[in-house]
Amino acid sequence: MVGTGSSAPRRPVSALIWLISPLVLAVCTVTAVLEVTPAARAPVAWCGAAATVAVALAASEAARRGRVIAGLRRRHAEREALLQYRLDQHDAETWRFAREVMPEALKLMRHGAPTDQVVRVTIPAHELEPGFAAAHRSIVRSVIEAVQAEEALRDAAHRAFVNIARRMQAIVHQQAYDIRDMEHKHGNNPDVFGDLLHLDHGNALTGRLADSIAVLGGSRPGRQWRSEIPLYNVLRGAMSRILEYRRVDLHSVADVAVVGPAVEPVIHALAELLDNATRYSPPQTRVHLTAVDIQSGIAVEIEDAGVGLTDEARRRTDRVLSKEGGLDLDDLGESPRLGLAVVSRLANTYDFLVSLRPSAYGGVRAVLVIPPNLITASKFPGGDIARAPKLPPAKKRRRPGSIPVQPSAAPIMDSPIPPPLGDSGLPQRRRRRGPAPLPFGRAAAAQRTPAPPAPEEPPVQPGLWLAAFTSGINGEMPVPDQGRPTSDNPSDKEE
Amino acid sequence: MSGPGPDPTAQPPGNPDRLYILTGGQTRPEAKTELDLVTLIVTRSESDPGLQPEHTAVVRMCDFPLSVAEISAYLELPVSTLTPLLTELLSKGEVEARPPVPTAALPDVQLLEAVMNGLQKL
Repeated sequence: MVGTGSSAPRRPVSALIWLISPLVLAVCTVTAVLEVTPAARAPVAWCGAAATVAVALAASEAARRGRVIAGLRRRHAEREALLQYRLDQHDAETWRFAREVMPEALKLMRHGAPTDQVVRVTIPAHELEPGFAAAHRSIVRSVIEAVQAEEALRDAAHRAFVNIARRMQAIVHQQAYDIRDMEHKHGNNPDVFGDLLHLDHGNALTGRLADSIAVLGGSRPGRQWRSEIPLYNVLRGAMSRILEYRRVDLHSVADVAVVGPAVEPVIHALAELLDNATRYSPPQTRVHLTAVDIQSGIAVEIEDAGVGLTDEARRRTDRVLSKEGGLDLDDLGESPRLGLAVVSRLANTYDFLVSLRPSAYGGVRAVLVIPPNLITASKFPGGDIARAPKLPPAKKRRRPGSIPVQPSAAPIMDSPIPPPLGDSGLPQRRRRRGPAPLPFGRAAAAQRTPAPPAPEEPPVQPGLWLAAFTSGINGEMPVPDQGRPTSDNPSDKEE
Repeated sequence: MSGPGPDPTAQPPGNPDRLYILTGGQTRPEAKTELDLVTLIVTRSESDPGLQPEHTAVVRMCDFPLSVAEISAYLELPVSTLTPLLTELLSKGEVEARPPVPTAALPDVQLLEAVMNGLQKL
């Protein structure tokens, strides 16, 4: 192969090279003419001249063709070089497209950038001929459109999921209220009541599933609580949402409350962890639930005595828990394991720290740390009673016990009329004299002897208050201004 | 239970746990207890700090004898929920139960019916 550069200087040489053979032939002819006899000189000269001319013609033609061929070769080589250059460029551009441009474009699209901006990102780095660049751009555009269509479809699916979950949540909440209502209404009938509790439990389980779907779809779990809830009740709320809540032992609980907006997420995350704990441990073992104060918030620990985590399982759970954005609704698989994905999603949203570690019992110890900004002081700090779910009522209703404090109530024992007014201005309940016998009660009753007789008040018909109570239990709204204990204000004074 | 008071439909906002949790899933005590609405409950000892809050509330409240129905009303718990709680407290000896004083010793209804039937047959 002759290079374009090397052929140029050789041109003059090669231009004359065709003269060699005619010259040789001419010399031979002259020699032959001189050698032959004079008689043969003329024909030999003629033949020699003719042959020389023919050879010269052939040689010059060959030389011309040779030049043409060389020119063609040169042009061909130039063209090939150009093509090679373009090919290299295209290769490089395609690589860049695959490795840099498309990932960048996809990233932009995930963040919701408009198509034009995404196309601008994908402008080729090198100078390309317009056709190729246009083709490139159209590929990008169609890929973007396809991806966007896909994203839109997924978004729609997510929204549909969340919407359905929301409706389910609404129904479940309504049902929970109704059941609660019925529980109060049929509280006197143990059989009906037991069935209602059963229904209530099933309803709570349904609600948890709906909450899980809502969380995975990027929504909030469940209802919003307006005020803060004591941690004790939050933990019991979590217990009430799992199937085997009977196996959960609720131990000591830090005396704090969870702020309203975080209540439902905490309950839900704990319910999922508790569900895992009860599900993956033998049915006869107990699951321990405690909550302690730590430097960085409140640590809720769930410890089971199950089979524990293998290394592989632990890696998997760590992966799920640490995965940004948690699990995708689209790749749940056939038997979805929602629990940890839901916990991870909630933990990301609300800054919980979740870790699963081997427990001393051989099972799993799950720790969920609630950050301090979601914790507030309990409204009723201190006493055990303050932690009761019915706190405010329980507290204000302790009045019967505190009646003895008012000595003035004692003397009106036999007065036939108006029931004494409490310090709140509301009528106090009256007690028959009979059923307040001194010898009845705790051993220390002797110390309190001044107390019991004090509240005794005019005898009333024993059944009256009970009738009122049962009618109230049955949901009939009584007239408010009757001489029955009302439970409203006094508590405010006590607190 | 009075007009402006808490009504069951407006569930108090601070109440994420359900009734079945309070009794640990046990809705009916195995042993049929003597507790009925008018049984009087009174505390026997100081409240033990390890008790469940409802138990503590009962123990504190029953410093002075209260009937089951009253406790139920004060705690806003249905009687069927309260009964297992009280049964548990009774078995632990934290409280003491006492049946109400019978107002009148009425003869047995069946006896009366038998007498009535007998009279009619005469």
